[in-house]
Amino acid sequence: MKTIQFLGVDINKVSILELFFNKTMLFAYIFLAFGFFGIYEVINERYFLLTANSLDAGLHPGSAEVANAFKEAIFGTGGEVKRESPWTLYISNYIYMIYTGSGIIFLVTLAELFNVSLIQKTAAGFLTLGLCMVFGGLFTIIFDLNVLHMHWMFLTPNMSAGMWLMLPLYIVYISFVLFEIYLLISKNKEWIKKIAFIILLLGISIDIAEYYIQAKLFNMNTARHLWTTYPALPLYFIISSFLAAVGVMISYSYIMLKESFKEHFTQLLLLLKKTTLIAIIALGAYEATAFLFIDKKWANVILFSGFHYEFYIYAILAITVPFGLLIYRFFQNKINNTLMIISSILIIIGTFIGRFIFVYGGNAYPMSDRFGKGFERYSEYDTVKEFIFFFPHISEICIVLGSVGVVIAAFKFIDTLLNVSKVSEH
Amino acid sequence: MNFAMALDYQNCINCKACEVACKQENGVQLGADKQRIWVGQNEDFIFGKPSVNYYPSQCNHCVDAPCVSVCPTHASYFTPEGLVLTDKDKCILCKGCMEACPYDARFVDDKFVAVDKCTFCFDTQISQGETTTACQATCPTKVRLFGDLDDKEGELVQLLQSRKFFVLKESEGTIPKLFYIFPEDDTFALSSIGKDTTIHTWDTFKPLIDAAMQKRNA
Repeated sequence: MKTIQFLGVDINKVSILELFFNKTMLFAYIFLAFGFFGIYEVINERYFLLTANSLDAGLHPGSAEVANAFKEAIFGTGGEVKRESPWTLYISNYIYMIYTGSGIIFLVTLAELFNVSLIQKTAAGFLTLGLCMVFGGLFTIIFDLNVLHMHWMFLTPNMSAGMWLMLPLYIVYISFVLFEIYLLISKNKEWIKKIAFIILLLGISIDIAEYYIQAKLFNMNTARHLWTTYPALPLYFIISSFLAAVGVMISYSYIMLKESFKEHFTQLLLLLKKTTLIAIIALGAYEATAFLFIDKKWANVILFSGFHYEFYIYAILAITVPFGLLIYRFFQNKINNTLMIISSILIIIGTFIGRFIFVYGGNAYPMSDRFGKGFERYSEYDTVKEFIFFFPHISEICIVLGSVGVVIAAFKFIDTLLNVSKVSEH
Repeated sequence: MNFAMALDYQNCINCKACEVACKQENGVQLGADKQRIWVGQNEDFIFGKPSVNYYPSQCNHCVDAPCVSVCPTHASYFTPEGLVLTDKDKCILCKGCMEACPYDARFVDDKFVAVDKCTFCFDTQISQGETTTACQATCPTKVRLFGDLDDKEGELVQLLQSRKFFVLKESEGTIPKLFYIFPEDDTFALSSIGKDTTIHTWDTFKPLIDAAMQKRNA
């Protein structure tokens, strides 16, 4: 294939047709179509919902629009954001995508630092995948926010807020990872060798800072004791994201590296298998002890009432079954492809459910016990809520599906141009 | 100035005039979920007899408000009058303040696509030189008393000096400024206040406010 060299990087000369209309892209478009429908839905619900206040009837007497807004106020669903459960599937998917992507980047950077040659040879692809997952997370969150007011993040920043710190974090983080990928695919090997160690150390520092800020985002919500009493929250995020990351890395390896990395493929999978087992043991041990520290009101909701099915499904899918499948004939140093693929898929699904429980669980215990005499209700017609859960809005589900499309499309786009998935001789 | 409110909640008859007055005064979005103030209800049995408690509530305008700390754009902010307000134009709808609030006092106003909450009628009344809020003005049983904690001769401070009171979820450390007056009827007090609630006098609570103010101003 013809290439153009730019800043020491070979860029493939491909036609628009090859770039945007290949099998992978068409697959991504199916997910993106869901995403666009979700965006339409959320914009419609957020910016075009008929609303009224008590003054509208006086200001616009006889208006059909006001009448419909009154009808919406009485019989409608009350907008997309529920008062008792402000953070929902958007945040679940955001942290899943962001943390898993960061987990991949963190693991690959660690492997680079310790000269793990199997990962070094495949690092560009893994890093790009991690970065694309970060894009997927950002795609989700941008539609959760009111983008029309985002300029205030720059104009009146609250630099001590976890939410604001996300902004400079991702500006630095994404630029840095792009630079790491550039170093991996660049032909300028000489000077790269000179700065590689410093870059890797910086990479690790940024990764740790990222997990710290992400934990701060949740930890600052003092009323939600699930998030404030989770012991060593940044550590939990690191461990759980490592597990999700290796789950994704195994699937990626089967899709992208099975043919191109043939001679070392088994060794790569053995390495990923060992890493997965370590992550499973660490996460299992963490979850087993964490609930000794978590506020008993929230622990009760998660372990024994509202979310207990989800929690045990998470434990079975992300921890128990993959452990059983991967430990099987572990010491024979062989790979059973079926067991590996099943484990990988179960881990991906299981860890997503884990994130779902973490976000929804934070809101699960109602705030309405204000006087210490039990949960209150707000009207004669209301029911007492002992557990808060609202099924995600259709727009959220579609945008989450769309974020998968973003990951696939972004990766394929970069890979078509830069061959990042190609095994390199590093 | 440091505006606050005392609530003699024993007098609440759940007429919801305060809710209606608030919606009317402040142009709050209509809808059952969209309330700046509300009357919570709790049903219980005392020695086999059913009882109902009415808990009028709203934003506590906390001295150490977590909603202000978490806001990335300073859309939630303290006013020099000691109020916690939201600037709807700056709200990016991250909903962090809703998560941080221990009192469920915030909601999304779909008309402005921003978070809304009680302002103690600052825009419509207090900033215009009025001395009361719509909810106080309309209450037929005089549940609420709005006033300035820095005014030692004021009605609010006088009331807090003469009666015991408690605040909501004190363990959250937010130093809330809705003061619930301890009921004169002991049976009512027993049925409506949790056993873990700390009952304060002005002398025990004032230092907590001062310490939190110092921390905020530091």
